[in-house]
Amino acid sequence: MFTLIIGGAASGKSALAERAAQTLPGEKVYLATMEVFDAESRARVARHRAARAGKGFQTLEQPTAVDLATLPAGANVLLEDLSNLLANEMFSPAGGGAQAALRGVEALERRCANLTVVTNEVFSGGTDYAGDTLSYLAELAWLNRVLSARADTVIEVVCGLANVLKGALPW
Amino acid sequence: MIFITGPLYAGKRAYIRSALGLSGEELARRAVWDVQERVPDETPETLAEELAEKEIVIATELGGGVVPVDARQRAQREAAGRLACLLAERADTVIRVCCGLPQLLKGDWPCASG
Repeated sequence: MFTLIIGGAASGKSALAERAAQTLPGEKVYLATMEVFDAESRARVARHRAARAGKGFQTLEQPTAVDLATLPAGANVLLEDLSNLLANEMFSPAGGGAQAALRGVEALERRCANLTVVTNEVFSGGTDYAGDTLSYLAELAWLNRVLSARADTVIEVVCGLANVLKGALPW
Repeated sequence: MIFITGPLYAGKRAYIRSALGLSGEELARRAVWDVQERVPDETPETLAEELAEKEIVIATELGGGVVPVDARQRAQREAAGRLACLLAERADTVIRVCCGLPQLLKGDWPCASG
């Protein structure tokens, strides 16, 4: 089962994605893509870890090349999130661009029993951005479209509530 | 409590006025709007508790753009998003309005007799 969860900032994406992953079989792995570089990102990681505590996820950090993560057989993977993964692939020295982000997620999907990917709705704040940001937005939108087409289920999260865009709710 | 969310100028107030047959004055008496602007002054948790007592609560979605460069704006956007999640949890009915069209996300459609 391949599930894509999309939503805006603080829309409740993570909680809903965790809930979705918990309904699926397989050893639960939380694949974290955010590179921690300041107090704000450390606080975000701490908040997310606290929210996941007791839900049975093993946490792995993989800022790029997500398919290289060491996974148990038949893993039930929650990847959070595609927007950080793409930023790392596009802008960090270890990255391989948007194609690498897509190849990574596709290879990951083949390697695990269940994959839930969290991505961001960042496309409703206007179009007045500098070149790098605009090309990042175009690549993220492309990834969202390609992965939505492949996904069994696509859920948009609005204030913590699920708006099913494709497939059916897993619960 | 009925919680209405949606982008800026999406027709959130116009929708609920029409659904419940409210005049502008009645709306002002029974509803609060732009609650997302109150988060710098109060925590989302406190505000959600307070607003849960209201009949109709309306908020504008702020989370659909690129992450703001300014830390204060980032924090406000996060807090506004959390507030919306907390309000949706407490609400009997949640409706998102997009280009004037309502989408029911939780509960039952509001009607004038209800």
